[in-house]
Amino acid sequence: MAATEAFVEADNAEAIITRIEHKSRTIDSLLKHSKPVESLQVRIPFLCHIFSTIKRVLIVIVVHIALMAIKDVGGLLSSLDPEYYDILMKYLYRGLSTGDRLTCDQCLHIHEKLTERAGLGCILRSLADTVNTV
Amino acid sequence: MAAISVHQFAQCITCHAWSPDHSMVAFCPNSNEVHIYRLSQDKWEKVHVLQKHDQIVSGIDWSARSNRIVTASHDRNSYVWNLEGSEWVPTLVILRLNRAALCVQWSPKENKFAVGSGAKTVCICYYEQENNWWVSKLIRKRHDSSVTGVAWHPNNILLATTSTDGKCRVFSTFIKGVDTKDSRTGTSSDSKFGEQILQLDLSFSWAFGVKWSPSGNTLAYVGHNSMIYFVDDVGPSPLAQNVAFRDLPLRDVLFVSERMVVGVGFDCSPMVFAADERGIWSFVRFLGERKMASSGSKYGSQFSEAFGKLYGQSKHGVSNDAVEPSRSRGGVHENCINCIVPLRQPGISTVMRFSTSGLDGKVVVWDLENQADLSDYL
Repeated sequence: MAATEAFVEADNAEAIITRIEHKSRTIDSLLKHSKPVESLQVRIPFLCHIFSTIKRVLIVIVVHIALMAIKDVGGLLSSLDPEYYDILMKYLYRGLSTGDRLTCDQCLHIHEKLTERAGLGCILRSLADTVNTV
Repeated sequence: MAAISVHQFAQCITCHAWSPDHSMVAFCPNSNEVHIYRLSQDKWEKVHVLQKHDQIVSGIDWSARSNRIVTASHDRNSYVWNLEGSEWVPTLVILRLNRAALCVQWSPKENKFAVGSGAKTVCICYYEQENNWWVSKLIRKRHDSSVTGVAWHPNNILLATTSTDGKCRVFSTFIKGVDTKDSRTGTSSDSKFGEQILQLDLSFSWAFGVKWSPSGNTLAYVGHNSMIYFVDDVGPSPLAQNVAFRDLPLRDVLFVSERMVVGVGFDCSPMVFAADERGIWSFVRFLGERKMASSGSKYGSQFSEAFGKLYGQSKHGVSNDAVEPSRSRGGVHENCINCIVPLRQPGISTVMRFSTSGLDGKVVVWDLENQADLSDYL
């Protein structure tokens, strides 16, 4: 699990925790002053954001576990629908960004095979898309 | 072989344009000059040097009927050159820009031209007879970044632009006194100057190289994310197709027919895209090589050494043609192709010949006549 923990950037996790603490204090303050509606207005979007962040982190962790478990890269790519090549490439770069030796070795190995299959355009698309990040 | 002639004119070419009879070519050799070469007895000789700009000339267009050259430069100016006798005489067009001019194109009727700029502005210039000068009207709003490409609709009023904000936009450039209201043009002549007809937000990255199909029904432009976008029924309900391809991004495109587009860019070879009977666009092949049966082909050997270092292998995909990396696909160009220009025959909408120029300083003329597998799309 050490590798998976490394997958979640430390700075990001601390920032998320800080925001949770700050928002909790805001909600507590509104409730103390008998403003349940206002607290709800803060709580709901805050909860949505937390859930979406947790969901993103969980997906990254699950994908990482799946990537590390791959033994037959060629077989994987043969069976993978081409429309998922760009998404896989994004997760590979996410894995490469961790700097963890085992993760990078595996991601680099898959990167080589995926680039042979999907071409340099796949790399361009995964890097150029700054909207749909993983 | 699709490439019928290759000419090494300079170390690097920024842009080029052909004379109406295709006997002369004007190009910028990555400097503040425009060189005009004429083909004389199978040899190219330099006949004119247009020296007026202070910085790199980023766009050239040569009008077919009126035989005028328009140039746009990073010095924020544009000149219209008229041939008087044996000399090209420049007329300054004050664009009122505070950033570089990046691209220029004559309108189909050649009474206007459009200039895209780094000032997030498009200049529409027309000639005022009374004052004997060119007037520039600006489309200032809407663009959030540099305008990299402009393309005129066949109706001489609609103008498509691409920008580094990733969007493609269509504007009306109707100018009272210059354009005439025509019932065939529909709503485009009712729109006032500068009105945005459509904004296409298909690309997540910089957009380049926009062109209209010969009929004006389809629009094509490219993104820096190795994608090409085709838009049919340009209007309130456009139909867009995003085509991703496996190679390096394109920089410019050309409609050779309603169903075939040639794209050029960082892969040093023109790429052919075609639409099938259902109107679905897809990549066909590179020009200058036969269609590859397998999609598992290696990337160019120019990247082999780089990838070898990345993957930690001492020898990776080294082939006999490693010395000339661009030859991995039988490519003629040796560097990025940044400009593609049609060589139209009068009265024929299909383009059988076109030319490309690039950072390698070559101008290559291509012919689709003997490309049997592409004839269905022409």
